[in-house]
Amino acid sequence: MNAIETTNLTKYYGSLCAVDHLTLSVNNEIFALLGPNGSGKTTTVLMLTTLLNPTEGSAMVCGHDVTREGEAVRKKLSYVPQDMAVDIKLTGRENVRFFADLYGVPHASDRVDEVLAIMELSDRADDLIRTYSGGMRRRLELAQALVHEPSVLFLDEPTIGLDVAARKKIWEHIRALRKKGMTIFVTTHYMDEADQFCDRVGIISKGRIAALGTPMELKALLMKDVITARIEGTFTIPAIDGILFVGQSGDEVSFTAENGREALPLLADALGKSGCIVRSLSLREPTLDDVFLQAVGPQEEPHGFEDGKFRIMLRRRK
Amino acid sequence: MKGIITYMKRDFLKWTRGKVAVISALVMPAAWLIFVGLALPVQFTGNYLDFITPGILVMTMLSAGLSGGALLMFDKILGFLNKFLALPTPRGSILVGKILFITGRGLIQATIILVIALLIGATLLNPFQYGLTYFILFLFGVLISAFATTIALYLDDHDSYSAFNTMISMPLFFTSSALMPYSVMPVWLATIAHFNPLSYAIDAVRDVTAGGFPAIPIFILFVLTGVVLAICMQVFRRVTV
Repeated sequence: MNAIETTNLTKYYGSLCAVDHLTLSVNNEIFALLGPNGSGKTTTVLMLTTLLNPTEGSAMVCGHDVTREGEAVRKKLSYVPQDMAVDIKLTGRENVRFFADLYGVPHASDRVDEVLAIMELSDRADDLIRTYSGGMRRRLELAQALVHEPSVLFLDEPTIGLDVAARKKIWEHIRALRKKGMTIFVTTHYMDEADQFCDRVGIISKGRIAALGTPMELKALLMKDVITARIEGTFTIPAIDGILFVGQSGDEVSFTAENGREALPLLADALGKSGCIVRSLSLREPTLDDVFLQAVGPQEEPHGFEDGKFRIMLRRRK
Repeated sequence: MKGIITYMKRDFLKWTRGKVAVISALVMPAAWLIFVGLALPVQFTGNYLDFITPGILVMTMLSAGLSGGALLMFDKILGFLNKFLALPTPRGSILVGKILFITGRGLIQATIILVIALLIGATLLNPFQYGLTYFILFLFGVLISAFATTIALYLDDHDSYSAFNTMISMPLFFTSSALMPYSVMPVWLATIAHFNPLSYAIDAVRDVTAGGFPAIPIFILFVLTGVVLAICMQVFRRVTV
């Protein structure tokens, strides 16, 4: 039995399709749902955590159906939304104890000490949250989420708004939890973090999975090198043997090739001939950004923003 | 049940940590009691303080309820509600805990106001009368906090809610029987006052202090509270699914 199993999971907000027939299974791994803002990541998590009813399709968490067995599902999971909601007028210990009591955890006070220690907050446990840094608040939320020993942990943008050191620490904790056998479902729009820390990645765009696999597998979809050219003016995709077009993002066009150093002059030449000015060329190894570019096209804010549809979305969430 | 108590405990802890809010909520009713209750020259009663005290107690519950209405909305806006909804604790206990907290907080404030009233010369009642008074205040507290929570959840915006709060609190108070009996009101005001839910609570408490048992106002309050609670639960359910 997989920890998370979705079949054609779909959510419409009015006529706007936020999640489009998502079929996915996740088990005992760190799985990242990766995509730009508005691609359906949070909606997916809300459905899996029983906070939103799917329009179509079904989802199971630890063998329980999210619409029919909500309470059984909620006993198995913990959910940390991206808002960072901790009571700043309470101490760290009080915040965690509150959750322990709500879950009805046996030996609550020992368990609270234990999770505070895991999250390295023991020495600040009796200080008001007001005095905590962003990274500490996020760790406190993880402590709250761990207090009832969940099987599945849902983290919505766990590192958003944190500095580099705090991010690294959060990810180290997430990895440690995974080693203990927990399934961790993360959403993020930081490709580099997903690449570095996650076992498997699903790239989601407009509610659909565009690419799925380990970061290595996904990057292997491209050739060994990626060449990015910053150009001015219009260009046509040059037809050169062994060089493939990846995508365009703003004034940057990317190509992939087995031997990048040999491809560089060929590309510069071809682009120049096609009528544009090449400002710079760079050569590097493929990243998930390139995979993303190839799978779904340039990352941009969805334009043609429809106010009416957005309002419907907001109203639905009320 | 345990969930309800835990949610209430959180709110009480948070409330006691904000000392300014605890004191400031008491200033307004205390000022009414002292500056109006003691100073207003009225002809219709010998002890105006005894007349106005029930009105001020109900006013205390009213302002506690209206200011508490924003609490659940804030939990929602700040993301707490989503965390609570993902817990196996029955979801209804979030709402029940909130209403009981707002009412309980109002009763604590009303107790302080009652003590001040006694200190400045209000008549002491017997324990049964106090028990009945608290029961009426509790019913009224549940009514107002459920009403305020419903409006706040519906408006879903702090500015709109505080504007609403300012808009209704004073008119509700002045069009009730808090400050004068129906017999001295102009006819138009007396008509409005008869429909004001505050009047039911005030008349009931006043009847208790006079030694009576206000069965009808209590019954009306009971029905009103039931209706508003039902609407409140409906709105809460819509917000949470």
